[in-house]
Amino acid sequence: MNVYQCEDSLEGIFTAIYNIYEDKSRPEDTRIDLTGELLLFARYVSVATDKGKALKVMNTLRRRFGEEDYMKICFALASTDEDKAQVIYKTVAAGLAVNCGIGHLCDNLADDSVHKLFSLFRNANNEFLHLRGFVRFQELDNGVLYSRITPKNNVLTFLMPHFADRFPMENFLLYDAGRNLFGIHPAGEEWYLMQDEHYFMNEKKLRMSERESTYQELFRYFCHRIAIKERRNTELQRNMLPLRFREDMVEFR
Amino acid sequence: MEYLTTGQEMSLMDKLGILTDAAKYDVACTSSGVDRKGNGQTMGNCAAGGICHSFSSDGRCISLLKILFTNECIYDCKYCVNRCSNDVPRATFTPEEVCTLTMEFYRRNYIEGLFLSSGIIQSPTFTMELIYRTIWLLRNKYRFNGYIHVKAIPGADAELIQQTGFLVDRMSVNLELPTAEGLRVLAPNKHRKNILTPMRQIQNGIQSNQSDIVLYRNAPRFVAGGQATQMIIGATPESDYQIINVAESLYRKFDLKRVFYSAFVRVNEDKALPALPGGPPLLREHRLYQADWLLRFYGFRAEELLDEKRPFFNVMLDPKEDWAVRHLEEFPIEINRAPYEKLLRIPGVGVKSAGRIVAVRRSGNLTFADLKKIGVVLKRALYFITCNGRMMYSTKIEEDYIVRNLTSEKERIMFGSDGMTYKQMSLFDDSSFQCAITPTEQLLTAVGQL
Repeated sequence: MNVYQCEDSLEGIFTAIYNIYEDKSRPEDTRIDLTGELLLFARYVSVATDKGKALKVMNTLRRRFGEEDYMKICFALASTDEDKAQVIYKTVAAGLAVNCGIGHLCDNLADDSVHKLFSLFRNANNEFLHLRGFVRFQELDNGVLYSRITPKNNVLTFLMPHFADRFPMENFLLYDAGRNLFGIHPAGEEWYLMQDEHYFMNEKKLRMSERESTYQELFRYFCHRIAIKERRNTELQRNMLPLRFREDMVEFR
Repeated sequence: MEYLTTGQEMSLMDKLGILTDAAKYDVACTSSGVDRKGNGQTMGNCAAGGICHSFSSDGRCISLLKILFTNECIYDCKYCVNRCSNDVPRATFTPEEVCTLTMEFYRRNYIEGLFLSSGIIQSPTFTMELIYRTIWLLRNKYRFNGYIHVKAIPGADAELIQQTGFLVDRMSVNLELPTAEGLRVLAPNKHRKNILTPMRQIQNGIQSNQSDIVLYRNAPRFVAGGQATQMIIGATPESDYQIINVAESLYRKFDLKRVFYSAFVRVNEDKALPALPGGPPLLREHRLYQADWLLRFYGFRAEELLDEKRPFFNVMLDPKEDWAVRHLEEFPIEINRAPYEKLLRIPGVGVKSAGRIVAVRRSGNLTFADLKKIGVVLKRALYFITCNGRMMYSTKIEEDYIVRNLTSEKERIMFGSDGMTYKQMSLFDDSSFQCAITPTEQLLTAVGQL
């Protein structure tokens, strides 16, 4: 058994996949490991992340499976599951071996790896779709829009293009508080990510703009008035909008 | 144009409250149907599937800023909270107020766009013009590129409706009540013909716009998200059969994107309105939506689901289960061989899982365990399917037996608690009961079957 140990990132895992193919390691005897746990009778290979190799793997995946399935892999990579690298490798290896064609990578849901990858994808994708609606921006006194999120999966990378497309002429800042990750979009320019181990967002220091509280209050009032008393159904509300999202939403404060 | 002066001294907060209250019974307010990327300059884009931004305490999605332009109204529709004979606080927005609210809410990601309807002020044409001016301002001065849904006011000038259509993503004309008869009783100022005219006009507009777009890629889009309508359920004595027939012909003859059903909420005291001691007929509304989905995505026809002898949906079974137990000669269906259309008819198999079954079986035979992974609801499907020629358990293909099992667990416990057994319920199931809303139904509604 060959165990490839790599960094927990898209580049790291793609480099590991590249190295596996380069070493001609057989899929049934190969694992990608992110945890650092040791197995008996295994040969360990440590993988140094290489952007060039990752890019090659990325292009191959896009060419062979199509953009849609490539996005599924990316969403699965955004999850925190320890097995994600292994299931992605297994699925990709099986797909490449049988030459499944564009859009058919996740067809064989009866297979355990494919099913796992698909459920990781669905979980991360659902969280992304939820947050697309549930993110709440606040206007700071310098006109910058700021929002704090605490997602389970690392979906900030997917949220940024959505909001950059939606608010091209706004300065906005999305802060993933759990990962201490910043997504920054300057007005009229490309967005980028930033992470600094020593810099944490201190929300107490943020000053809201004057009219911010007015609009928060207006929206809170709107949400209150739009509900029909006779149809009250908080269980349904909780199913559709789980409680964990509510701490960052103005209408539930 | 002069705006009305009443309520000008009112604060924005009060106006928003009054005009939200007045709009909340309108249900046709999804943000779906248009996929439009941002243009890099102005604010806004649209996602085809629609985006829900919040959920109110009745569990309904808040997607658009749903408001009336004004709740002043010259009409006297008996079911409507804004009818002219009601003594309620009245307010009117100015176009600028609507635009600022939309923009400020939108950039904080509170909403997906604007839903603008209005009471009839002075005349339908005057009202439509106010709506048009507001939307024009929002698109051209405030440069809003997000989703806009407006109501076309029946009886308004055709040219105004046409021009508004080029600015908005979705338009809807409310059918209000399923039949012309009901409309005459409850909405004396509205006429079926007046409602269908703008509906037809929008349909024709969309069709001719589609051929324009083939010719000229940059031709302006007319109501790109299609048109919708809504009907009130339970205010008039129509049967479910009549209602889904109306819905089906709307889909077929008017190319509607959606028909919405709104359980009647008794907001006015009026002798022409039914008393609803059990609250709004929510279960009935739910069954109609289920049937609506069967019409649009599952290839069912209205007359397959109900007929004149059984004009109401089953309280205990959803429309698809109900159809299946009455057509047991079609079952069991072999999962590994049946065509896609047949798979869609199995209770517990949806559009997604049917598609997945077709994809997975290319690479091998499916087992029941695989079906579970795919997302088939085996609890419901197991009575109707075989995998490799075998059923999951040794279940009988027998109407009584299947109905008893499908309605067991939750429902039986619920009905058992007040001394009713299943056999008593089966009277409701297989005899054609004609009454509009049974106490049982109200009970189910009250305990939150939805």
